[in-house]
Amino acid sequence: MDRADYILFDGTLAEYLRRVEAGELASKLQASHAPPCKFQTAAAVISGINNVVPIVHGPRGCAQSLRGTRVAGCQYRGRPYEPTLCTALDESQVVFGGEGKLARAIVEADRRYNPDLIVVMSTCCPGIIGDDIEGIAEQLRSQVRAEITTIRSEGFGGDFRSGHEDAFRAIVDLMDPPIETIPYTVNLVGARVGPSYTEVREDIQELQDMLGQFGAKLHSVIAGGCTLAEVKRAPCAAVNTSWCFDWGRRIGLLMRERFGVPFCESGLPYGLGATADWVRKIAAPLGLSAQAEDFIARESERIEPDLEEAKRLLAGRRALIETGPMRAIALARMAAELGMQGVIFNMHPYTLRERKEAVQFLLDSDQNPRVLLTRGAFEMGSYSASKQTQDEMEAFLGDAQDWVYFGSPLRFPGVPLVNLATEIGQPHFGFAGVQNIARRAASAMRHAHRERSGLMRQAMYGVAIHGDLF
Amino acid sequence: MPYDAAARRCARHASRPGSGCDSVGQVEPAPHDTREHGGLDPYLRCAFAGAGKTLAGVLDACLVLHSPQGCHGLIRDALATQRVDFSEAQVVSSKLCETEIVYGGEERLRETIREARSYGAPYLFVMSACGPEVVGDDIAAVCEAMSRECGVPVIPMECAGFRGNEHQGVDIALEKLLDFGAREAMPKVPRSVTLIAPHASANPAWPADLGWVRRVLGEMGVTVVSVLTHKQDMQGIARTPAAETSLLLSHDAGAPTSERLAEQFGVEPVCRELPLPIGLTNTKRWLEALAQRFDAAPVAERLIEDGHRNVIRAIRLRGPNIEFYHRVEAAIAADATLGIPFLRFITEDLEGVPSAVFLRSCSQAARGVLARELEELDLTPEVVIGADAYAMKQGLRRARPDCVFGSLVEWQLGKELGVPYCFRVISPTSRFQMTDRPYFGYEGLINLLEILQNEHQDRWRSRIRRYEAKW
Repeated sequence: MDRADYILFDGTLAEYLRRVEAGELASKLQASHAPPCKFQTAAAVISGINNVVPIVHGPRGCAQSLRGTRVAGCQYRGRPYEPTLCTALDESQVVFGGEGKLARAIVEADRRYNPDLIVVMSTCCPGIIGDDIEGIAEQLRSQVRAEITTIRSEGFGGDFRSGHEDAFRAIVDLMDPPIETIPYTVNLVGARVGPSYTEVREDIQELQDMLGQFGAKLHSVIAGGCTLAEVKRAPCAAVNTSWCFDWGRRIGLLMRERFGVPFCESGLPYGLGATADWVRKIAAPLGLSAQAEDFIARESERIEPDLEEAKRLLAGRRALIETGPMRAIALARMAAELGMQGVIFNMHPYTLRERKEAVQFLLDSDQNPRVLLTRGAFEMGSYSASKQTQDEMEAFLGDAQDWVYFGSPLRFPGVPLVNLATEIGQPHFGFAGVQNIARRAASAMRHAHRERSGLMRQAMYGVAIHGDLF
Repeated sequence: MPYDAAARRCARHASRPGSGCDSVGQVEPAPHDTREHGGLDPYLRCAFAGAGKTLAGVLDACLVLHSPQGCHGLIRDALATQRVDFSEAQVVSSKLCETEIVYGGEERLRETIREARSYGAPYLFVMSACGPEVVGDDIAAVCEAMSRECGVPVIPMECAGFRGNEHQGVDIALEKLLDFGAREAMPKVPRSVTLIAPHASANPAWPADLGWVRRVLGEMGVTVVSVLTHKQDMQGIARTPAAETSLLLSHDAGAPTSERLAEQFGVEPVCRELPLPIGLTNTKRWLEALAQRFDAAPVAERLIEDGHRNVIRAIRLRGPNIEFYHRVEAAIAADATLGIPFLRFITEDLEGVPSAVFLRSCSQAARGVLARELEELDLTPEVVIGADAYAMKQGLRRARPDCVFGSLVEWQLGKELGVPYCFRVISPTSRFQMTDRPYFGYEGLINLLEILQNEHQDRWRSRIRRYEAKW
């Protein structure tokens, strides 16, 4: 395979972003790789508040993804079964309007479920026909016990990030002005409940533990399992920081603008340098810089043996990184700390465009790794296309022996593979995360001589097999 | 100022009788037996999802979603439901945004169809979601023009979510499939059948039920002309009118298709008045009815005798505690496809007493079956049709059953309400399954007993360690 046949871009992140913004790399994306719609991301954020009743104003299919999130919360996050209401609009309401049905749903939601908060979320149909969800909510506000808020979350109304940004805006609208600033307290903002690879409990827990180590105190996690009362008093925190810069930036900036709460802007606390940055940026406005430096020194010393071992095995090699965009950029920085040259593989133009503000912030912080885009990125979604990406990766790596792949074991790069499947259940964030990734990297190198599973490879990239099981 | 529903209705919707405003003021629920119908926390998805589940059962089809990107989630589930190998799934989406909603999305649809064509599928189904149908995209005209341009059939499926629930979506898609693929009568294939709506079932392993039906038909020498739908090619769908009979494998969807085939092509429905074959008696009656139609009584007798013997033998060898169910009060929380046959299974085979029946759905055609079963079994449970999660919780609170045959949702609700046993036999169960095993037939009965036994044992497992080991 000739490189020119499959490599669409090979250059720096800054150049890549420029070309994406200029429309030179079309954001074509197959359905099966489409990110969630605006409604779905807004719903994920709302699900992070306890005792909230969302009312999905739309046909019943729209409620299903939210319901799945809430049932998962029930299964895995110790929540009770919480309802996911839906006005289940039919043809009649699409023609004649669904406001009446929505009004009835709000009253019923308040009466039946005794929620702290009712969130009305509009979907495509009412968005098009012009149902006045804000007007209905306003008129019913005095008749229901719960607070009511609304989010215009029509699936067509924006990209996936506009959903969580609008949801966070609605959450900020619920906050009370601060009556005091509680010293040394920190909000972790930008969280939501939902199955996300980097949002397993361990990561949030690790960040909470780190705050305590240099004298800061966690105030609230907005909105990752918080109460409405916590939302209301969130502006009393001394500072805000994000657990994921991309998700937390909007709410952080909004709270700074509205309530004057300082927002500690930093990338993911992923890797030694990034974690130290994250700690320092929180500590400085709290007046805890000295304690933070002690903590960083302590932790750096603690994880040094694992880090040194990883450096010994990895230094001088090249890292091919295939993960989500923000994590990939953070990993490229971490690779450099390990003495490697990081190359990000197939960061999709669509997902880059959606995150351009956050990416620009990282570029401004001198993080500008090499990015490689292959033709397979535009063909993803079907098995044969995924195989295309696999083939392209193999062609790109060729016989070179100095590469190490950072990503999912579902890929077969033919070089040592650092397993970043977070289902392993240990944090990737913070100093513990550095230690865990370093250990996995060392394990990848020590076991690089072992054959990969033929079973797994056939399942992923083998020929199609027809017929029923057994 | 308090909300004045009546005034608002007059002001805004005086000529909009379907807006729901006419019931805005009706805050208090309706009387006991009807108040839970419909509901705000429904189990069923929308018509778009049901249509997707049906079309995903057509081999080699490429699905073109004329929708915002979020609707793809429903189709991803549909592909999983129909057990489509991810290597063969062909789904593209027009990913509509505000621009297409304001100015129309027909051009975007044309581009998407061209992209879909590049996958080489022999036909494309264009599924329209709520947005483009509300704004009035002329999907049929685009499909007609693109059929000519692409040289393959491009079939419009107007199945926006607001057209109904997922079972209605199944019916919409079946109707369109027949419109497109089975237009003309043809000579009948002797001793043949078409199988309808096997996928409209809350058995998480429903393909195994279909497999059991096919095996039984094979034993009786009956040819399956088509399956509407599961791994069925369009040639098979086109042969549907050649079937002598139809077998409806759902009490929730497919009845309109069965009726249409009967009227249009003289395809005779069989076993329509019977509960589906779950449990000893239901299976026996169903096999006998089938045998009567196909003059295969000796085969049916053998199947019944062998099956019965296998069940007895399995119980003797493994010893599930079936004595547990004797006269325990059981709530059924299911779709009609499983809920109706469960009545007799629980009453006769397990000696339990169904004291409450909450059906998330039930076709009009199956309501007669339900009524007859209740009468024959001399049961008078509370019955709620179209139950949502709220109705379910309130119903369980009222009924206070000893056990529930339901899904993960009732399992969670039951834990809250102190229901001692909740058997997760209805989708969603949250149980990971690598293989599909039937509920239908004698094998299905054994499988059900196994599931119930494991759930029963889980109930008693230690949740805490009372002291640390010394080693």
